[in-house]
Amino acid sequence: MWLQRRGLSTKREWRVKQVTKSNFSQTLESLKPQISQSDFVAVSLQKTGSFSAPWHRVLPFDTPQTAYSKARFAADKFQVFQFAVCPFSVRASKVVAHPYNFHLFPRDELKIGMPSYSFSCQTSYLASMAREGFDFNVCIYDGISYLSRAQESVANARIGNPIPSNNVKTSSSTPSVADAVFIERIKSRVKHWKSACRDSSTRADEALVKSLRKLILGSEEYRSRPCVNLDVCSEHQVQLVLEVLGEFFDDLVPLLIPAKGGGTQAVRVILTSSEEDKDLLKRELQDLEEEQNKRVCGFREVIDLISASQKPVVSHNSLNEFAFIHSKFLSPLPPNMDEFMCSLRMVFPHVLDVNHLMKEIGPLKKVTNLSAAASCLKRRFFVPIDMEIPHQASNEDKIHGHNVLKISHLLANLCSILKITPEMIQSDGGHLASALEGYANIFHPHSTNTEDPIDGGIKVWTDDTRKVSSEGLVFIWGFRGRMSAGGLKRLLQGSHSVFSEEFDVRMVDGSCAIVVFWQSGLSQTFLEAISSNWISGLLREMVSEGLRAAGYETYKKACRLGFWEADLADSLDKALEEPDHNSEADSEAKPTGPSQIYWSRDSIINLDEL
Amino acid sequence: MKQWPLLRSLSESLTRTLAAHSAYTLRFLSSATASPTFALKNVTKSNFESSLADLRRHVRDADFVAIDLEMTGVTSAPWRESFEFDRFDVQYLKVKDSAEKFAVVQFGVCPFRWDSSRHCFVAHPHNFYVFPRQELPVDGPSYEFLCQTTSIDFLAKYQFDFNACIYEGISYLSREQENEMLRCLNSECDDEMSLLWRNMKEVRDTPLVSVADVLFSERMKNRFNEWRKELLQDRKGGSQFLETSNDMKQQFQTIFFKMRPALILNGFTAHQLRLIQLVIKKHFKDLVYIRSSGDGSYSELIVYIDSDNDKNLLMKEVKDGLRREAEMKIKTAVGFRHVIDLLSSEQKLIVGHNCLLDIAHIYNKFFGPLPLTAEDFVSSIHKYFPYMIDTKILLNTNNVLKHLMKNGSTSLSKAFASLCPQIASSSKNSGLAFQPWVEVEVQVDDMRSSNWNSGAKHEAGYDAFMTGCVFAQACSNLGIDFKKHSSSANLAHNKNLQKHVNHLYFSWVNGDIIDLGTGNRIAATTVCYNLKRRYPKILFSNIVIVWGFPSQLSSKKIRECISKAFGPISVTTIYHLDETAVFVQFSKPELVADFLVLKETLETIQDPISVLHPLSVLLEGGNTCAASYETYKEICSSPISKVMFADQAKAVGIKWKTKLIESKEKVKTQEDESFSKENGATDAASDPADKSKTRKIEDVIDNLSDDRISGSEIIDSLYAAQTKLSKHIRTTNL
Repeated sequence: MWLQRRGLSTKREWRVKQVTKSNFSQTLESLKPQISQSDFVAVSLQKTGSFSAPWHRVLPFDTPQTAYSKARFAADKFQVFQFAVCPFSVRASKVVAHPYNFHLFPRDELKIGMPSYSFSCQTSYLASMAREGFDFNVCIYDGISYLSRAQESVANARIGNPIPSNNVKTSSSTPSVADAVFIERIKSRVKHWKSACRDSSTRADEALVKSLRKLILGSEEYRSRPCVNLDVCSEHQVQLVLEVLGEFFDDLVPLLIPAKGGGTQAVRVILTSSEEDKDLLKRELQDLEEEQNKRVCGFREVIDLISASQKPVVSHNSLNEFAFIHSKFLSPLPPNMDEFMCSLRMVFPHVLDVNHLMKEIGPLKKVTNLSAAASCLKRRFFVPIDMEIPHQASNEDKIHGHNVLKISHLLANLCSILKITPEMIQSDGGHLASALEGYANIFHPHSTNTEDPIDGGIKVWTDDTRKVSSEGLVFIWGFRGRMSAGGLKRLLQGSHSVFSEEFDVRMVDGSCAIVVFWQSGLSQTFLEAISSNWISGLLREMVSEGLRAAGYETYKKACRLGFWEADLADSLDKALEEPDHNSEADSEAKPTGPSQIYWSRDSIINLDEL
Repeated sequence: MKQWPLLRSLSESLTRTLAAHSAYTLRFLSSATASPTFALKNVTKSNFESSLADLRRHVRDADFVAIDLEMTGVTSAPWRESFEFDRFDVQYLKVKDSAEKFAVVQFGVCPFRWDSSRHCFVAHPHNFYVFPRQELPVDGPSYEFLCQTTSIDFLAKYQFDFNACIYEGISYLSREQENEMLRCLNSECDDEMSLLWRNMKEVRDTPLVSVADVLFSERMKNRFNEWRKELLQDRKGGSQFLETSNDMKQQFQTIFFKMRPALILNGFTAHQLRLIQLVIKKHFKDLVYIRSSGDGSYSELIVYIDSDNDKNLLMKEVKDGLRREAEMKIKTAVGFRHVIDLLSSEQKLIVGHNCLLDIAHIYNKFFGPLPLTAEDFVSSIHKYFPYMIDTKILLNTNNVLKHLMKNGSTSLSKAFASLCPQIASSSKNSGLAFQPWVEVEVQVDDMRSSNWNSGAKHEAGYDAFMTGCVFAQACSNLGIDFKKHSSSANLAHNKNLQKHVNHLYFSWVNGDIIDLGTGNRIAATTVCYNLKRRYPKILFSNIVIVWGFPSQLSSKKIRECISKAFGPISVTTIYHLDETAVFVQFSKPELVADFLVLKETLETIQDPISVLHPLSVLLEGGNTCAASYETYKEICSSPISKVMFADQAKAVGIKWKTKLIESKEKVKTQEDESFSKENGATDAASDPADKSKTRKIEDVIDNLSDDRISGSEIIDSLYAAQTKLSKHIRTTNL
């Protein structure tokens, strides 16, 4: 019934290969060379939700840190159902693209409670996916699972798969007495066991005798070769065992058995019959490890491929996208934006945001959505860029993950408008073409400057946007009933002398408004007035009715401490109650002074968008 | 009842020989060939209205209605799972958390009616796909629900159709949500009108600037004048239709709006409409500009009015129309809740299998937010559903049935297989032919079958059907004669069921049962004697919760180090909530306070002795926190759910490391004090004692910091300190 609705795809026959569990490994093989041969990799994620309440969205007055806190909250909470990847190159006026759309589901493949115990869904997001004809059954039944890098190491320890040890470091220090005793004991035990094995293999014993011997020697079989487990108490002892084995026994292959809580529990020693047999075993173990890895890390292999290629990664709204990528495929998100940027840069050195590039081009400044950008480009510029998708996908394939192609196409367009020629684009090695360098790694969705947004190089880009220091912003809440910004402004105007100067009021959500004092110092006066004992007149009346106010720092605190209540008013109340002595906060918040915020005159928060 | 086996064997033989053509044979014929494979009644958005009408009839006629729910998850964190260490109030908090966070995706309803003419039950299994889609725009938080990955995977394993659920699922509003929306509507209606007037005022204020606007306005004015003139002439001239030029017909169409002549304005821009509004306002006293809605879209109208009075009347009519329409929308949005309202209003006996969580979901989704306490929940649910039966309780507490089940597993599918083998295996040749099997005929739309079995386990509709079958068979085994019970209430009052009606498992793990009728709890031990207890008797006042300790500490090691500090038999049980937290149950309640005080003391005094203390193993890393059982309850009541308990405690905002239970004692002693003051008696204040006890233990440790004393002496004297301490606490407790 619902599959009929799939007619709504774009007119152009852009086909995206859909990938599930069944064709994953095959796709991986073809994707590998395509990534390494392309100039860029575009990515686009389809999530199960993004913000639970209106004020949880990144708002124009957010600083990079508060915007990051919001992105972090969403990334921890929601799930990625589709991950579109598209390696592409720009040649002359042609984009050569290889789009794939991976269906993901965080299935607990290894039965260890990972990658995700639970996740949230916003019904409106699921409903809009449904409108596009998304097949939830395919996603949930056959979606590819994954583990983040951090989870993988935990998982390896928990499943207890033996790890082949190849790196034997010879310790420089002379062994202590205890070590010497340990070494001797291991040596004699292994020797004894080995000779017993060789012995028994030549003799035809009775079954009972054989099993008895097995019992006494603690000998087992591993891949039809005899083996024995040597218990160890520390990583140091592991090293000692490996040293002993390397030094005295050529025909033995050691395997490390991980302990449940991390570390090593025992060293398994496997006896090989010959040099060839030893090589064979080593190869077997290597294959086994690779297979194991594939099973464990799942889709993350694609992330690792992109990362290893060091290609610039192109996305739209990079802060949100990469918060998700970091949280799901790398490690839990750090509390602080700087740490996030550092951590991400180690994996993806160049991240380009088409949203940011669009801000460089006049008519596109205010466009925030991909389709609008495409149509705007068509109207305003003549940029003949063709799309070439070499791989053949079946008819069914063309529906989802189109954004990634739009991103690729848009980037080629933008580069052309910004006079960045294909020759300049082609990056070599790990270095991004210098022409694009300036646009990379900018994560603040509302920043307009090309430099590091945190240091604040400022460029005002339209007449109706004014720069305001965060010190001039005051949040007010606790007014009665539903209020319009205009009504509130009128109410405030007569309430206190500070409002005789120029100020602006906007609603943030139904519960809370933000007041902008254009004249410096007035916000402080107002905050002092409202908390003092001798307020009078209308303001006093409003306060007695429950009006509260707080500066921008309180808002930052609410974001930092993760008070994500549905109403901003409740979060601010909670943040005010919280004592200020938090030392963690001091180390987090850099003494950068007030942040600069752009204040747009025309309705800064468009409630219709909600 | 005795006739049943006879009848069946008769009909079986008939089927085999294919000789006769009685009604029975026909039924068996059809079932023996192809019929058992038809699907149960799947209900989605598209067939909801019609199915609801049928269901109303079936429920009205039913003797009882079996229900079952499928959810997107059960627990939002491992430490929120059901433990034996859950006190009654904690159990409720866990159920509440689950019902609040997860969504219901499938709702099985299966009315059962006793057909006295054919001596069998007729069941109508319905499988409703439910999805909490937001149908009406409201500001505020978005609709959101949690999915537990393993639960979703489990549903997938049983071929749950997620597409049907998300695309076609029936949405709903709870009673509370509906009321809230109607409340909003009331205020909005006033708003809209005032908005309308304000708009008009603003329109008047703006002067026409551009020439184009002036020209357009002039043209419109002429058009309206013409129309009006024609209209008036028309009135004089009798019943002649209006003649309008062709070009006008496209943009202006004459209709009757609420019994008044009117023009529909088509194909104008918002700006042009504003200008028209202005023209009307300025130049025509007997025309009004109106925005009316119908069929989901708005249209702009110019309406002719006779007088100011008529105008007011019209505005009121328009307003009422808008309001009615909005109310209709809300009514449609109620959606699946109509089914729940039906079940509640018909007051039928509701049958579920281990259904407390189901009931909590029903309450939360269709009535309103769950009450804060179990007591309030129980009393209000009883108001909505006066008769409820839990088959799991029936099978576990009734001796006759327990014998039948051979004390085996009482999971729904096991119970169904052992109590209703003739339905479960769709075979008539059961070895236990002398058992009086209850016949259940299934009817879906026009299809009927007496040995229907879709076998789709964990599909809500089928699970409800199994539950109903189990209940019917159980009743028969209890000697209930269905012929005598014509109504549902009658069945609920049967003396053989009396002991079980309105009893629900509050927690299956502990076997705690609650009586919804009286609100009384029925002690687990008296009822659940076949449940093997893995732990000695649980005393919540003897429990401390410890979290944030070094991760490699096993229960054994924790027991060891506490035993070293408090004596070999001090610890009764160690129970891991997850890898970051344990419950420690002490043998004596005093030890709880002692433990917390000792922990606090060891942490505040940072000297070599406290490092040597046996308890320091537990405190290593400096993140170990401990508190009494009350804190666990507090943390459970938080809406936050972090996967690890230690993270949860942090997220809830716990900043202390040890929560002494002194504060509670203080409250107690304060109460005592005030009490004794009232009595005029003087009481030695116990506060100094409190202070002195901490001082004493510090003294001991100070004394101990002498290096000459051996380790064992240290421990011994610590013991001494503790015994003193516990004496203190005991005295203050008195």
